[in-house]
Amino acid sequence: MTDAIALLVVVPIVLALVPIALGRLWDGAGWVAAALAALAHLGLSVTVAAKVFSTGRFTYAVGDYTPPFGIELVTDGISATLVVLVSVVTVAVVLYARRTGPDSNSFYSELLLLTAGISGVFVTGDVFNLYVFIEITGLATYALVATGRSPAAALASLKYLLVGTIGASLYLLGVGYLYIATGTLNMADLSTQLQAVGYDSPLVLTGFALLVVGLAVKSALYPLHTWQPGAYAESPDSVTAYISALVSTAAAYALFRLVYAVFTPAFDAAVPFALDALVLLASVSVVVGSVLAVLQSDLKRMLAYSSVAQFGLVIAGFSVANATAVTGGLVHLVGHAVMKAGLFVGVGVLAGVAGGRTVDDLAGVADRAPVVSAAFAILAFALVGVPPAVGFAGKWHIVLGAVEGGRWGVAAVAVVSTLLTLAYFARVVERMYFQDAPAATTDTVSGPDATATADTDSALTPDGGESGSESTDDAKTTGGSGITIEARTVVVAAAVGAVVLGLFASDLIAVFEPVLEVYFQ
Amino acid sequence: MIDLLATHYNYLVFVALVAIGLYGVTASPNLVKKVIGLNIFQVGIFLFFVTSGYVDGAAPPVVHGDAVGTYASPLPHVLILTAIVVGVSLTAVALALIVRIYGAYGTLDEEAIREVQTE
Amino acid sequence: MSQTDPNRTYVESTIIMTTVRVVVPFVFTFGVFVMFHGAESAGGGFQGGVIVASAVLLLAFAFGIEPTRAWLEGPLAQIAIASGGGTFALIGLGALVSGGAFLEYPAYGFGTDGVKYGIELVELGIGAVVSGVLVSLFFSLSQGDFQSVGSGGANSNSNGDGDAAGGERA
Repeated sequence: MTDAIALLVVVPIVLALVPIALGRLWDGAGWVAAALAALAHLGLSVTVAAKVFSTGRFTYAVGDYTPPFGIELVTDGISATLVVLVSVVTVAVVLYARRTGPDSNSFYSELLLLTAGISGVFVTGDVFNLYVFIEITGLATYALVATGRSPAAALASLKYLLVGTIGASLYLLGVGYLYIATGTLNMADLSTQLQAVGYDSPLVLTGFALLVVGLAVKSALYPLHTWQPGAYAESPDSVTAYISALVSTAAAYALFRLVYAVFTPAFDAAVPFALDALVLLASVSVVVGSVLAVLQSDLKRMLAYSSVAQFGLVIAGFSVANATAVTGGLVHLVGHAVMKAGLFVGVGVLAGVAGGRTVDDLAGVADRAPVVSAAFAILAFALVGVPPAVGFAGKWHIVLGAVEGGRWGVAAVAVVSTLLTLAYFARVVERMYFQDAPAATTDTVSGPDATATADTDSALTPDGGESGSESTDDAKTTGGSGITIEARTVVVAAAVGAVVLGLFASDLIAVFEPVLEVYFQ
Repeated sequence: MIDLLATHYNYLVFVALVAIGLYGVTASPNLVKKVIGLNIFQVGIFLFFVTSGYVDGAAPPVVHGDAVGTYASPLPHVLILTAIVVGVSLTAVALALIVRIYGAYGTLDEEAIREVQTE
Repeated sequence: MSQTDPNRTYVESTIIMTTVRVVVPFVFTFGVFVMFHGAESAGGGFQGGVIVASAVLLLAFAFGIEPTRAWLEGPLAQIAIASGGGTFALIGLGALVSGGAFLEYPAYGFGTDGVKYGIELVELGIGAVVSGVLVSLFFSLSQGDFQSVGSGGANSNSNGDGDAAGGERA
């Protein structure tokens, strides 16, 4: 059913109208509409993925207007994977937000609009359509960040709005320059036309620069990242999990498509300075993000700066223009989404148990919430890059590709960032496991041993580790101020997912290969 | 130079508007003025797009009968229409946020808010 | 009645009231006219919707915001938004059901006339969404009550604008 690709965007928008229409009559309309939309989206994305995996890349002309006059929707292995990721994260967040996060009709309406926007970014094949979907994503994100109850949330949302709109307007200007140069907006057509215009024309170069800066604002690269810590820290936990997993991912994916589908590697051969500059920017972002993360005491801000660093790494992988590094970047993009979402949900749960949001507040929380703490620790070490989780697969390929391409700086930066990531995560894990809770007299001697074995067990056999830790804890029923079953499910599922993705990373890479073969002929 | 000014003045106006808008967003301490600056910035970009689609002596892109003569392309206009609507929605969200911030902090001055936050 | 809130400044002016009373029907008609003319001439849903919303705003400025809000009370704005968006989606999905691509007007089988009237229907839907959103936004902003986001219909309504834009270009 090829229409599934258009329905991916239409179904969430239509179901987003339902809470608006029925909001006065029925308070639960929001969650039902969101759950329906999430399940429908999952079904559609699996259909699209199945079609791509069996027959390869396919396109869809909206309104049956042949491209380049009409808008084309394109799916290949990469976008199919990312669309399935969107569905999974949406299902998880809709489940989680039912009891934890804001549960109002307007929240679910905005969440579905965000789902539609992000799905649109992943499937579109037209640069202006990409702008529209990026703006829809941004609009929904600003509204969602503002659902936090504190006035600081409104301020963070306003800051994000101002910075993000300037970025998106710069992207629009870049699209305008390219349109003036070639007369077309279709990505596939642009790649041939740009080559005809000539890659060293100032119009094309300025267009590239504007596009890259606009998308760098949206994916929060240093020094355009200043909106991210505030937006992540002040929004509700369900919102943070969703936007950290998907919004910057969409911007990084857009950058990937622009660099490889529109400005093909021939551009890099003609004007190597362009991607060199991007590599430099991304590497600086990695180092600065990691350093700033180490300096944070608030957990959510720490994870936000960690995102800055991880996206720097992903974009560095995209800019080292060979297949291995780009594969690494894509794997890390997918893996980071899963890991960050799980980490943010875990932080929400643990902060609720511990009663505070700083690193020091987490002292000894592992005894009160063993399952979630174990999952959090697994996710943290997965993000650091401990094999066999997916973080390792992504970083390994990026470093390998950097070495292949002679970019020793990127390899060094990746290693440095791994050490710094270990620094700030080990700090948190140490507080959780090896320190006493403030008022309780907990026995921490058996704690490390049980959890160390649980860690290694989970790393090798996810199911075994999970059941192992479940049998040793009894704080689950008595403890921590109502850890909802949904929250626990989401965090554990994320941890399991990170490890499983790592184990099957070679399959994931096999999905990406046909696409990259076309780009790197 | 005068030749450039005479024929390509739309680009000069575009640069001026974008510069004024950016200055407004970054330099003014009042939150509403930041939003105004953002609007001016976006209007500059729209102006650039629309004026770059100008064709001298072209007819509007509606065909009555035979398609003879030059027609102006409707595409830049449609693009900017969409972008204007996006800009209006963003301004609406920004103003709603400013109303809420004013209700919470009692001031619209960015420096005063920062002081309240850090104390 | 218009002086209930001391922060609100409303000046009752006979000139404004008389002028608005005469002008508003024509502005509203013009707005609907612009909405109908999107397919083959300048005009369309966005422009028409904004003009219709401005007619309501004229009334609010002339006669006081509270009375106008009370007059437009009820689910009118919500119905406008939901039905407008629903029309667009229905036309697009109907094309899917009739065997074409999404939003493929020729699939309905009416030929070029079908394309023209399909576009005009979609423009009407978009006009409804835009005017509903702008009117409800104006009333929410003037009320200045955003403490709880549960009542923040403004947030979800303003998104309707962006999504109509996306749908139009899409």
